[in-house]
Amino acid sequence: MKKKILVIDDDPKIVEYLVALFEDNGYQTRSAGTAQEALDIAKKMLPDLITLDLEMPGEWGPRFYRKMSQDPELKNTPVIVISGLSGNEYAVGKAVASITKPFDKDELLKIVKDNIR
Amino acid sequence: MFKKIMFATSATPACDHAARVAFNMAKRYSAHIDVFHVLGVPTRGFSQVVLDVKTKEKVVLDDEYQAWVKEEVRTYYTNQLRDVSSAEIHVVIGVPHREILRHIRNAEPDLIVMGGSTGQDEESVYKQSMTGSTLQRVAKASPAPILVVSRPAASFWGEISNVVFGTDFSKSSDAAFKFALKVAKETDGELHLFHALDISALHMGRMLTQDEIESKIRDARQLMRGRYVPQMEGFKKFAVEVWEGLPYIEIVKYAREKQADLIVLAHHSQKRDEKDARLGSNVEQVILRASCPVISINR
Repeated sequence: MKKKILVIDDDPKIVEYLVALFEDNGYQTRSAGTAQEALDIAKKMLPDLITLDLEMPGEWGPRFYRKMSQDPELKNTPVIVISGLSGNEYAVGKAVASITKPFDKDELLKIVKDNIR
Repeated sequence: MFKKIMFATSATPACDHAARVAFNMAKRYSAHIDVFHVLGVPTRGFSQVVLDVKTKEKVVLDDEYQAWVKEEVRTYYTNQLRDVSSAEIHVVIGVPHREILRHIRNAEPDLIVMGGSTGQDEESVYKQSMTGSTLQRVAKASPAPILVVSRPAASFWGEISNVVFGTDFSKSSDAAFKFALKVAKETDGELHLFHALDISALHMGRMLTQDEIESKIRDARQLMRGRYVPQMEGFKKFAVEVWEGLPYIEIVKYAREKQADLIVLAHHSQKRDEKDARLGSNVEQVILRASCPVISINR
């Protein structure tokens, strides 16, 4: 069974790129453009890994993470922060990795492979 | 929530983390931002010769020089200024804390953002101007809350929605509580009421038993519930917690555990007279170590 990745980003181009990258490498994906949408999808999908943008309309990534970590079924899901903001490694203290855009796809795939449940 | 933010800055990299928070908050809350910079400290009273804070050289002040420094500050923050709807740059000469407090009185900002220090620069003109830091002196007298950022980790990630309020049960803690509650209510956020039982102070030359520690924790929790919960007026999203240990370490750990995006503390301990109060040592340590911004409340 394919491992599931939830891609959270408000930029459709980034979403399209990440979804294609992950699906080309054998993962099943879903995507969300807002924190609320992401939380709804995550509860149904129970992803094996989440990629999380920080700056999004409405609630930002850290608030999503806080809500997610209050859900017993989601709280141990590994999260990779992918953001253009500098200092993004501090935004979600318990993220398994933080990557700054633009990023190297091989590096991202390695992090995914090393951390996916 | 915040409509007028004052960002007091040396316009050097030491204030970059604070700048990020100040401008991001102004953007998020559509607030006006006053960028306030003390360009030089007079070499003697009313002198036109000042010590430039950047070059550390004596310069003769005139309108042209002041306008040039203002432009320098504008250039330094070009990108951030582009993102906010309303901003003004103020460049003044004088003893930093006095000028900042003067501006606070005149402009009445509802939040002041400052960096934790002028960094490792021991030659800082600000430091030479007066014993004790500018932050200490502003925090002591400011009628408005002071938000201090000293680490890149203590950044502002889009919103404030998870507030940790640390109390030592002092009068100024009561004022800090009111502010923390207001923030939590206005942001529809969560409020974590926290007290750290200071084990080191309790020792008094002997080791406390675990029963004694747990009894004191229960007492503190009861005290917090009795003191603060009645003031909540229907606000439900709160938690009460007491941990034992070194207060500043426990506050930082608790805030990290709760993924707080703001810590609110009273600016000094209950043990000091207000007129002599410096920024409390616990507050200082929390500012230095916290992974989110810290607001110090004076009154």
